[in-house]
Formats: sequence, C-alpha cells, structure tokens
Amino acid sequence: MRDISFGQYYPVNSFIHNLDARVKILVTLLFMVSVFFIVSYTAFAFMFLLLTLTIAVSRVPFRIVAKTIEGILFLLIFTALINIFFTSSGNVLVPIRMGGNVVLNITDQGINFAIKMAFRFTLLVLGSSLLTLTTTPTELTDALEFLLKPLKLIRIPVHDLAIIMSIALRFIPGLVEETDKIMMAQKARGASLDSGNLFKKIKAMLPVLIPLFVSAFRRADELADALDARCYNASSTRTKLKVFKIKPMDIFVFVGFAVVLTAILLDKYFVGKYVPSPDLGGFEVQGLDVLIYNFIRSVVEHGKV
Amino acid sequence: MAISLENVSYSYNVNDAYRVDALKNLSLHIEEGTFVALVGHNGSGKSTLAKLLNGLLLPTCGDVKIFGNSTLDVDKIYEIRKSVGMVFQNPDNQMIASIVEDDVAFGPENLGIERSEIERRVEWALSKVGMLEHRKSTPFKMSGGQKQRLAIAGVLAILPKILVLDESTAMLDPKGRSEVLKVAHELNKQEGITVVHITHFMEEALNADRLIVLDAGRIAFDDTPAEVFKHYDELKAIKLAVPWETQLAISLKKVGIDVGDVVVKDEELIDRLCQLL
Repeated sequence: MRDISFGQYYPVNSFIHNLDARVKILVTLLFMVSVFFIVSYTAFAFMFLLLTLTIAVSRVPFRIVAKTIEGILFLLIFTALINIFFTSSGNVLVPIRMGGNVVLNITDQGINFAIKMAFRFTLLVLGSSLLTLTTTPTELTDALEFLLKPLKLIRIPVHDLAIIMSIALRFIPGLVEETDKIMMAQKARGASLDSGNLFKKIKAMLPVLIPLFVSAFRRADELADALDARCYNASSTRTKLKVFKIKPMDIFVFVGFAVVLTAILLDKYFVGKYVPSPDLGGFEVQGLDVLIYNFIRSVVEHGKV
Repeated sequence: MAISLENVSYSYNVNDAYRVDALKNLSLHIEEGTFVALVGHNGSGKSTLAKLLNGLLLPTCGDVKIFGNSTLDVDKIYEIRKSVGMVFQNPDNQMIASIVEDDVAFGPENLGIERSEIERRVEWALSKVGMLEHRKSTPFKMSGGQKQRLAIAGVLAILPKILVLDESTAMLDPKGRSEVLKVAHELNKQEGITVVHITHFMEEALNADRLIVLDAGRIAFDDTPAEVFKHYDELKAIKLAVPWETQLAISLKKVGIDVGDVVVKDEELIDRLCQLL
C-alpha cells in the first residue's frame, strides 16, 4: 500500500523523458508486439541490449527499473515451471516416473520454451515500466487522448475518459494518505489490522474500507461541483494549453524502432528458415502467423506482394 | 446589480419527511465591486446560498439573477458560471491536474479559448495570487494557503466578475487564512471584482464593505461591519462571537472607559487607548 512509487514517474531530464509521449506510447506498443515475434536467442540478446541502452540513456537507475520485475517474479517462475513440465514435444531429457510409469517428461523444447517465455515477460514488464517511469501522468493522458481520437467517430467520449484518467491519477496519493490516516485511527481504537490469517486480515480491513469509500464519494461530490463551477462542458470545441510538437528526434526514434521490428520479423520468418506449423507450442495466432510468413517470403524472395 | 435574489427559498429533500428548509424567502442585492462578508454558524444556509449563486443549486422558489441573467435559464448557465468564480472549502478536492499551470488552464480550456490567450491568462492569474514561480510544480507538497490561492487562480483564469469564497478559509491555519484574505481584498481593490466571502470567522469580516449575518435561513443583519457589531448581544444569541477588539471596547465602556464608538480594528483601538492614557 505504501510503495506507490512502483512504476511511477521518475523525474530526471533525459533524451527519453523529452521524447513526445505519443511516440513513446506507440514505440512501446510496437515493442510489445515485437517481443512476441522474437524466436532466436540472438534476437533476444539484441533486444536486451537495446533495452539496457535505452534505460541507460533514460538516466533512470537500473535498480528502480529492475524493481518492477519483483512484482511479477512469482508469475515468471510459475509459468516457466509449467512450460518445463508440461511441454511434451521435443527430445526427452529427463523422464519423471511415478510408480514405474512415466508421468511427465522434461524435454529440450520445454526448457527452450520456458526460457524464452521468461525472457518475453521480462522484456514486456521492463519495457512498459520504462514508459511510465519516463512520462508524466499528464503527458500520458494527453497522448492517449490524442491517439484515441478516432474513437470519437463512433461516439466514444474520449475527452471525458481522459479527464477521468487524469483525475484518478491525481487522487491516488490523496487516497493513500487517507487510508494511512484511517488505519492509524482504527489502530488507535484497538483494531488489529495485521494479525491473524488471511481471512481475519481481510475482515479487519472492513473498518478501513468503509470510511475510505464514504470519503471517496464525498470527495467525488465536491470535485463534481468544482468541475461544474469551472465551466466543464461549456464548449464542444475544447482547447488545450499544451500542444504536441513532433521533433526530428521523435521521428528518428519511431523509424529506428520500425527497422528493429522489421529485423525481428525477418529473423523469425526468413533467417530462421521458420515454417509455421500448428504443433509449435500454440502461443502464436496461427492464421496471422501464416499470413505474415507468406507476406515476408513473397516480398523477400520474389520482390513483390 | 451584480447579484440579486428575489424571495428565494431553498429546501433539501422537498418531497419527503427529511425536508430541510435551508433558505427562507430571502431577498438580497449586491452591487458590483463590493466586498461582502457572509457570516453564519453551521446550518444557517450560507453554503446553500453560495451554490445558488452559480446555478449548482436552483432555488425551490424565487429567482436568482446574476447581472440580470436568471440561473433558471438553461441557456445562460455557462454565462453565469463564467461570471461567478467559486472557490470551495477543501483545496484538495477542487484540483483537476497534477501540474499547477495545467490546473489553472482547465477553466479556459473548457471555454474553448485560444492557446496564446490561455497562456496569458494562466500567467496573469498565477501572478495575481503570487504563485507564478510555482507554475511547473505539483500541488501535493504545498501548504493549505498556497493550494487555496491556486484554486483562486483556477477560477480567475475564467475572468469572473464575481468571486465567491465558500468557506475557503475554514480548513486553513491563521497564516493561510490571512494569505487568502489578502488576495481576495487585492482582487476586489485592483480588479474591481465583486467578492462574496462566506465564513464563520467574524474577524474576517472586519475589512469588508458589507456584512451579512445569516441565521436559520434568514438574514439577521445586513450593514457595515461596524454597525452590525453594535448588536453584540443579539449576535451572541445566534452563536456568533464579535471580534475581540470590539468585545474589549464594549466591556471597557461598561466599566466607564469610553474608547469611542464600537471599535473594529486593533490599530484603532490601540490609538484610542493611548490617547486616553
């Protein structure tokens, strides 16, 4: 509860911090997609190197970025174990016997798979937390509002959603502070909040949660009045104090990453002599996989689509 | 006339057993450029009155007019909210953005004002409340007085003609209270903004042009502070304490030391006492 700095903006001035938030969001999305297309260890090594360089340039200490992995460590190990024990294809390395019968096999493909999956998770979490570490919540919401603009066509109130998000971000520290206060108040009255088993602990949180909810609603009420008093919704043509300006650096980063993505796709579908087949572990979207494979083959080999 | 209320009543929960009549047949006129202090103890209806002024609440009976526009007129509601800037009690619950200048810009952005003009207004509003050097920082670590001055800047950016401070000093320490009051008086003097300052601290009314005392939804007194303070005993009966300078002057008069008429400012009292000694 207290550690709200998890993945939150780290205020230093750096090349990464100064990039346009829209470019950062798009590149992070591309990065996430590309992570799922990495197959060779060379490509993994390259991606880790790229990420390490980016973190170094961002001037956010490695310690702080690495901290975000802690939260998913359990998930990471758990999925790796599942992959090791439950992948049946490939050459059997260690058969696990129970009462004379082979129940599970540890295969080379299973181990490969587990390692690659763990790499993918690590890259995903580090990459996305780097985005939130180097971008202020305001920039993030503004950029999201801009990127989601097309949704206005199907009457999704993008601006209202952006306001909701920025208000939520703005009130998190206040609510954490309030939770602390209520917990102290209840402790002062003799409530034991951190003893007993899990169920007792959950039950003990009720006297904290109820006042917290009541006060959150009261805050929301006052905030609604304040929004109204400041002419919220007065004009359909809302203007902005801050406007985005694309700098040459932003274009450079975006194009640079597009090149990286292309390299990864080529690595998977061309260099690796990869042929899509239905029995390769099944995490790929099969149809899409075949489509991209055919596209790349035809472009590279025949020079036409 | 900046504000005029004609026979205004307001009741909460009109149709059920929990009906509360907050304001009872109240008529009130406030001229442009005046600094009005509105005082009353809890439940006297002062916050209800504030919310009626910019149409956050609509009167159950009667009519509230701001520069001739009725708050009941749906088409005029944004025009009214543009001319009545309202600052509330809790500074934490009226800030929208995490960066000072973004928050001040929120009002003008809503009105669809051009970017260069918004920039100019943000700078002007922040300098008016003495917070220009904090424009890039976040309000989390600020003192109550600073946050409340920021909230004032937020409504100033809409360029209101009337500033309503709805118990905006209630949660502040004495230093914060005097900071906010100073800003309100400056805006009244320099920019000619009509100020309606709602409070339960009688001494904050000392420098007002006009003091209105509300009691149980009705106007009990409405005059200059000096005149109102003369009704020392009646004010006490409706649980309001006259500032200590005035109390002292009245008590001195009772024991035969005449420091003149009811004194309202401490320097004035000191001067007169010095003359007597």
